[in-house]
Amino acid sequence: MSSTTEVTPSGATGRGSSPRGKGGDARPEVNAGAGASRRRQGLAAWTLALPFCLLFLVFTAWPVIQSLFMSFTDTRSRDLRTPFAVDIVGLDNFTKAFSDPIFRKSMLNTAYFVVVGVPLTMAMALAAAVALDKGITKLRGLFRLGFYTPVITSIVAVAVVWRFLLEREYGLINTVLGWVGIDGPNWLGDPNWAMPGLILMASWRNFGTGMIIFLAGLQAVPWMLHEAAAIDGAGAWQRFRHITLPLLRPTLLFVSVTTAIGYLQFFEEPFVMTNGGPLNSTISMSMYTYKQFGFGNYGLASAMSYIIFVIVAIVTAIQFRLLRENT
Amino acid sequence: MRRTSAAAVATLTAAALALSACGRDNGGGAGSSETAKDISSGKATGTLTVWAMGNEGDILPDLMKDFEAANPGVKVNVTAIPWDSAHDKFTTAITAGTTPDAAMVGSTWMGEFAGLDALDPVPPSIDTSAYFEGAQKTNEVNGTNYGVPWYVETRLIFYRTDLAKKAGITTPPTDWDGLKNMAKAMQDKAGAKFGMGFQAGGQGSWQSIMPFAWSDGANLTKDDGKAYNFDSPELLEAVKYYQSYFTDGISDKAAPAQPTTEPDFKSGRVPMFISGPWMMSAVEKVGVKKDQYDVMPVPAKKTSSSFVGGSNFAVFKKSKNRDSAWKLVQWLSDPKVQAKWYGMSTDLPSVKSAWDDPALSGDPKLKKFGTALETAQAPPSFPTWEQVVAGFDTEMEKVTKQGADPAAALKSAQQQAESVGTGQ
Repeated sequence: MSSTTEVTPSGATGRGSSPRGKGGDARPEVNAGAGASRRRQGLAAWTLALPFCLLFLVFTAWPVIQSLFMSFTDTRSRDLRTPFAVDIVGLDNFTKAFSDPIFRKSMLNTAYFVVVGVPLTMAMALAAAVALDKGITKLRGLFRLGFYTPVITSIVAVAVVWRFLLEREYGLINTVLGWVGIDGPNWLGDPNWAMPGLILMASWRNFGTGMIIFLAGLQAVPWMLHEAAAIDGAGAWQRFRHITLPLLRPTLLFVSVTTAIGYLQFFEEPFVMTNGGPLNSTISMSMYTYKQFGFGNYGLASAMSYIIFVIVAIVTAIQFRLLRENT
Repeated sequence: MRRTSAAAVATLTAAALALSACGRDNGGGAGSSETAKDISSGKATGTLTVWAMGNEGDILPDLMKDFEAANPGVKVNVTAIPWDSAHDKFTTAITAGTTPDAAMVGSTWMGEFAGLDALDPVPPSIDTSAYFEGAQKTNEVNGTNYGVPWYVETRLIFYRTDLAKKAGITTPPTDWDGLKNMAKAMQDKAGAKFGMGFQAGGQGSWQSIMPFAWSDGANLTKDDGKAYNFDSPELLEAVKYYQSYFTDGISDKAAPAQPTTEPDFKSGRVPMFISGPWMMSAVEKVGVKKDQYDVMPVPAKKTSSSFVGGSNFAVFKKSKNRDSAWKLVQWLSDPKVQAKWYGMSTDLPSVKSAWDDPALSGDPKLKKFGTALETAQAPPSFPTWEQVVAGFDTEMEKVTKQGADPAAALKSAQQQAESVGTGQ
């Protein structure tokens, strides 16, 4: 890096003592040297960045371009050996996806899951965070760990347990409902109840992440504001509503965006619990796309993936608009 | 700025080049029948790579020791692959040209792999009439055999003999009405909650419905086996019959997604169901005694038939040791080896003469499976079968759970099948 000292303009002018005229003579020379070394520097930078760029191009950019290309062609699994020997079909795959009744059903299912699941998950996360922040003082660490455990537990193990919980006759949930005189539904076997069952399970499984982030957000709310409001006679709920919530706005935005993105692509829950049934009442967009890949309809499945991508982008943009800072 | 535009030009050029190279070339490829070369005589030599799935993949190496002993100078490397990822692994290997010499292949994949031009046609010295016909048919794509059945399974109706006696039935019924009356009697007289454990549509339910359709003489293809045929009168009759079990309350509309067949069979809650040979050990494991239950062939409308499943064995075109690979397949089809393999894996032999072995012919229940295999049928070997039948399964779910009109459901299944096409 010896060249650096040579180039820096401050180094050149720092020789200060030399007369102005001489410095003027020297300038073009210095500039020429600076240009060459800047090129050399650029070359070095590119050389150092090259491995990453190559890996990025080959393993990230290329698959994206290829899948985009695939979504406009009639690629099937048997074309894998000759990926370019396929016919361009324009927007056919997209119209085919939208005219497929099961895909439309899967879009409705996904909307249902997101519209009910995201607020429920966030409410549970916020409630748990507030409880841990203010209410629970003893064994706080234990509770925090307990609430977060479902997030890091394997979905396969979770599925086994929840299948027992949601069991029609002997399941824990229906047993408890039975104590208060409610005849519980056949959760996973009834097309109207399978989705609520999955939403319940997904919220339970995912609220831990939101809770941890809310907990951090809550600790950043200045205590002074609460104290001042309390002196002015504000009750606990008023303080939560008018101090805590507005200050949590950025945290709320973050949690709602990440949860919504995750839920828009929900896949594991129906995959392990219901296989999309009964009567396709729990099939999600991701899962139906996955099935189409399995059937070898790569073109159609890629088109579906891009539809999901566009929907995720739109929903995220809407959330940013609704929850941005008021200015 | 300049650099960006250069990159853009490069990308566009590349894209244009790629696009101009697009388009399918017509003609060539698989689709017409092939003729196979015969294999050399003598013993197998060299190294063979073999892929096998699931339990078979785990225990095949033990059997291969016998093959190596019989053919000094051959070395067989068995790679065990989990079922879940097997299909992807095969298609990837075919694309990359890194297929094994020989492999166990799921019977519904034959059309797809043969369509990819990956499989070697069966040499004439292998006698394809030695196998059960229904199982052998799964290897036939466009008139050419691309493999042989390795082991088979078929579906029969399981029932509790002690409860049947209570319901007043001592000889199993042979026609559709008889079966339904028996299931009803199980409910009325033997205390069963549901007489028959039919699957209420959904994934794989075609395996329970098609045996009835085939027993009515249904054909799932038309136009010389070139197109799907779901709206045939025979299939309609079978679906109506199947639906009547649900409308009459003999089968459970709201059965859980995870079936509880074995405990329900043991407790007598559901004393009849249709399934394959592996269920014998499964129900015995939960405590059903051997003399407490029996199996019976699918009752006939015209002639009794059932579904034949299992796995095939195929040799890949890219194999560098083709002759030895076929010799391995030939050896695996030897009746003695098939009987020994049954002893190791409980996989039922696909070779008819292997059933003379006392281990198989001595068991009366197994013998019924053997008899059923002679008339059992397999679905068409179209590459799109899995996708098309998924549509059929969904329609059947509507028929059983919501009481949808069977004729409309089959029409819809046929429309879906036609829009997907056979894929050949």
